[in-house]
Amino acid sequence: MAAIDYPLQRPKAEPGEFSFSETLYKWVATVDHKRLGLMYVASALIFLIVAGIMATVMRVQLMFPNGHVVGPDTFNRLFTMHGTSMVFLVGMPMVAGFANYLVPLMIGARDMAFPRLNSFGFWIFLLGGLLLYYSYLGGGGLSGDGSAPDVGWFAYAPLTERGFSRGHSSDYWALGVLVSGFGSIASAINVIATTFCMRCPGMTLKRMPMFVWVMLIDSWLIVVALPPLSAAQVMLLLDRYLGANFFNTQNGGSAVLWQHYFWIFGHPEVYILIFPAFAILSEVIPIFSRKPLFGRPAMVAAVVAIGFISLGVWAHHMFAVGMTSWSNTFFAASSMLVGIPTGIKIFNWTATMYGGRLRFTTALLFCCGFLFQFLLAGLTGIMLAVAPFDWQLHDSYFVVAHFHFTLVGGLVFGLFAGMYYWFPKAIGKMLDETLGKWHFWLFCIGFNLTFIPLHFAGMLGMPRRIYTYAPGRGWELWNFVATIGVFFQIAGILFFIYNVLRSTLRGQPATDDPWDGWTLEWATSSPPPEYNFEKLPVVRSSRPLWDLKHPQDPDWKWE
Amino acid sequence: MTDELHHGEAGERSEGAHIQLPAPTFWPMVFAFGLTLLFAGLVTHWAVGVVGFVITFRAALGWWHNVIPHEEHEEVPIEPELRPAPILVETRSVVRLRAGEQGHRQRVPEEVHPYSAGLWGGLIGGAVMAALACLYGLFAQHSIWYPVNLLAGVVIPGMGSATLEQLRAFNGLAFIAALVGHICISGLMGIVYAVMLPMFPKYAPFWAGILMPLFWSGLVATTLNVIDPAMNGRINWLWFVICQLAFGLVGGYFIARSTSIKTMQSWTLAERAFVEAPGVRPVREDEEK
Amino acid sequence: MAHGHLVAEDALTMERQWKLPDRGTVGIVFLIVTESVLFSMFVIAYLIYLNKSLVGPYPKDVLELPILASICLLSSSGAIVFAEHALKHNRLGSFKLWWAVTILLGAYFLWATAVEWRKLIFEDHLTIATNLFGTTFYSLVGLHASHVIVGLIFLTIVFVLTLLGFPIQTQLRRVLFLSWYWHFVDAVWVIVFTVVYIIGLPR
Repeated sequence: MAAIDYPLQRPKAEPGEFSFSETLYKWVATVDHKRLGLMYVASALIFLIVAGIMATVMRVQLMFPNGHVVGPDTFNRLFTMHGTSMVFLVGMPMVAGFANYLVPLMIGARDMAFPRLNSFGFWIFLLGGLLLYYSYLGGGGLSGDGSAPDVGWFAYAPLTERGFSRGHSSDYWALGVLVSGFGSIASAINVIATTFCMRCPGMTLKRMPMFVWVMLIDSWLIVVALPPLSAAQVMLLLDRYLGANFFNTQNGGSAVLWQHYFWIFGHPEVYILIFPAFAILSEVIPIFSRKPLFGRPAMVAAVVAIGFISLGVWAHHMFAVGMTSWSNTFFAASSMLVGIPTGIKIFNWTATMYGGRLRFTTALLFCCGFLFQFLLAGLTGIMLAVAPFDWQLHDSYFVVAHFHFTLVGGLVFGLFAGMYYWFPKAIGKMLDETLGKWHFWLFCIGFNLTFIPLHFAGMLGMPRRIYTYAPGRGWELWNFVATIGVFFQIAGILFFIYNVLRSTLRGQPATDDPWDGWTLEWATSSPPPEYNFEKLPVVRSSRPLWDLKHPQDPDWKWE
Repeated sequence: MTDELHHGEAGERSEGAHIQLPAPTFWPMVFAFGLTLLFAGLVTHWAVGVVGFVITFRAALGWWHNVIPHEEHEEVPIEPELRPAPILVETRSVVRLRAGEQGHRQRVPEEVHPYSAGLWGGLIGGAVMAALACLYGLFAQHSIWYPVNLLAGVVIPGMGSATLEQLRAFNGLAFIAALVGHICISGLMGIVYAVMLPMFPKYAPFWAGILMPLFWSGLVATTLNVIDPAMNGRINWLWFVICQLAFGLVGGYFIARSTSIKTMQSWTLAERAFVEAPGVRPVREDEEK
Repeated sequence: MAHGHLVAEDALTMERQWKLPDRGTVGIVFLIVTESVLFSMFVIAYLIYLNKSLVGPYPKDVLELPILASICLLSSSGAIVFAEHALKHNRLGSFKLWWAVTILLGAYFLWATAVEWRKLIFEDHLTIATNLFGTTFYSLVGLHASHVIVGLIFLTIVFVLTLLGFPIQTQLRRVLFLSWYWHFVDAVWVIVFTVVYIIGLPR
């Protein structure tokens, strides 16, 4: 390979000499995993705020019986776009963003395996999201009917068929999600190739940080679970554009097939979404407990087990469809089986904290919130896995409360923990701890105030997705309290936004290793240079920085 | 490129002043844009799709030019001011926690009570408990068989509809059922106590003698409606709790009196596996003698 | 105060012994995994909707075994192996020949599919909207055909570049990955053939 054409040499840059267009070019044309990671997280946060505003409007609508803030059509669009955005435009890019930023740093690499594919993945996700949101303007544009999609985030057939969904709203849903799905698959393959092929010398799979392990399994799940959704969406588009009959019950097609295909994707998807939180907790809790992760091999085994078991549980979303009792039994049992590895994880995090020298930073507070709330979410999950129980509460607010406990109480809390933990590394400034504690407590109180009452509303029979309800059914108090909680959450989020802006502009500068960390990302400067590491590190244990800080007692003597 | 390490595309150049990184390119973004327009053509107008196709095609060419024949790289200068601060060696050293060490919150018991002590403690406690219960029957209903019959209601559903007279009278079947049940539960609870006692934090007698019977009473109080309706209707909770406490205190006392036996908790894996090799097993005190 | 270095003394030895899989290999393998899942969804749909059509035409009325086309496609897998082999040993003439054979065999398969579809649509009046058979048949075979088209486009690009004098032997790895993709497309055809023309056709 002698004929390599010599690359461009970039001149040394003086700080502050970039013009606006140069800065724009630097960000738009970048293939640097750190910039892309930050852009992923930033766009996900923007979508989070947009979808959060939708949720607020819905909660205000339901605050009192016979609410009339918005009409039924608008309400249908709101919950559809809220769910779709939160899953595909907040959760998925958060996975990709955190993995992009941290995996190469943690394994001691200078970039992802496929830097250009990485850039493609980010942009197609963003443009897919914008295509979905363009439906508000374009959905009614040329054909007359419809605006944003209004079929719910799982878009059950035959509601999405031509006959029931005129205009292009359902097409926007299918296309927007399909297009942003390409980005997810691209970034997942990239993460897998990066973890397999880019590790620094000595970084065996056994020594890989837990974060990287979880992200590897997460990417595996994306690679095998997203194609069923894409296939189903292609089938739906064939139905809608060419008159195919996949989900057309008039011509022998089956609406249940859509449900199967959607949930074959949909259930692994919830694990795809929660895994980043698992990954973050596995890094944050040991650092602030000053103890290595308890039962590391069991943690890896548990996450691998979830990565496989979760592929075989999907039909527990469909107990009310009327499957055979054998299917019900199988899927109830397999769903409960997932509880075992998840229980191992919860136990091991708690055991990591037990006896540790705890430093209750905001990051650890969010982890504690996660532990309580995710445990509760897991318990209601086990309840819903019991088929007869599910028949009672299917599609009720109990289910809504359950999965918001997993995704807000679990994922969002984990993500906030991660943001407080790695913000100094990414931006070079510390996030303010006082503001952070305001953020945590307001958000935690608000979250529980909102979603605990919804369990009761659900058990009292309140169905999900109703746009209003009559007084006198015992739902008033719970809905009122839930909406009050939303305002606490908003206050918490405002504190967070203020904290991020203030700390970025005028925050206390962060040292390279502010938390006394053990993984490789803390061995480079904050923020890291474009090439991450001047010399590629060589590691001998799963806590390379510990080894350096304690030459008398390095980990590699024990591992 | 003979000596160069291959970790993806990034790599050091021999001069040592630059690091080779993949060059920035906007073609992947343009490709994504074209692809999105291509799909957007389905929901807007075919012309949008055609524009999308053209852009996608152009971007694909641009992307190929970036990677064929070789991936385009640029050399980024190493910034000395961006070097991370050196990693400091901690002056404090690390002490490893050993199982069974005093003053730590690690509570794997070094010594446990034998199961037999648990069995005997449970049986003796059960006897005291039964005596107290019969005493209660004698006071309240002038019959020692009254509590026996009530207990038998756990397995004999007919007891639920029995009259007071029938409950006072001796019933052979009920007696055997109550006796077997009581002995089994007492013995099992005693064994559970023997296993758990060393694991409690300080004040084991308080935990085992008072708190556990209260927990047990609470458990019974919430479930009795289901498992023994006969007893549920007639139970005197004060006496019930007194009987439980008596069981806990007496049984616990007998268990605590027993001679403890050593567990292998403080041994290493090699020791537990009885690997005999020089240096594997540290000589223990009792062996030195 | 003492401080540690991440690069230890034995770093060089460790670096020299450090072997990791090739990133392109891992990437293409997982691309194939994800594509396989996509195909299996359409295969499952075909099997679920087998014999569920409410109106004709049914498979047994209209389908004929595309034996020659299948043989062509499968043997193109062999041809591409020969081409690869030639390229590895730097025999460009032989590479060009076998590569052209691969493209021609693939193109014949595509043409045969087109002829089959033309007959089904215009003579048997089976479209994607007619019944469940049409829906699942055209989508499954069409998905496979679209992969054949993508593969042919890439094969043709390589062929044209080689004819123009581009030093293709420097791109051995990429040619190898392209051939893996082509083998995958062929392997999928084995499954599609089994499902559509053997399981789907009662005898």
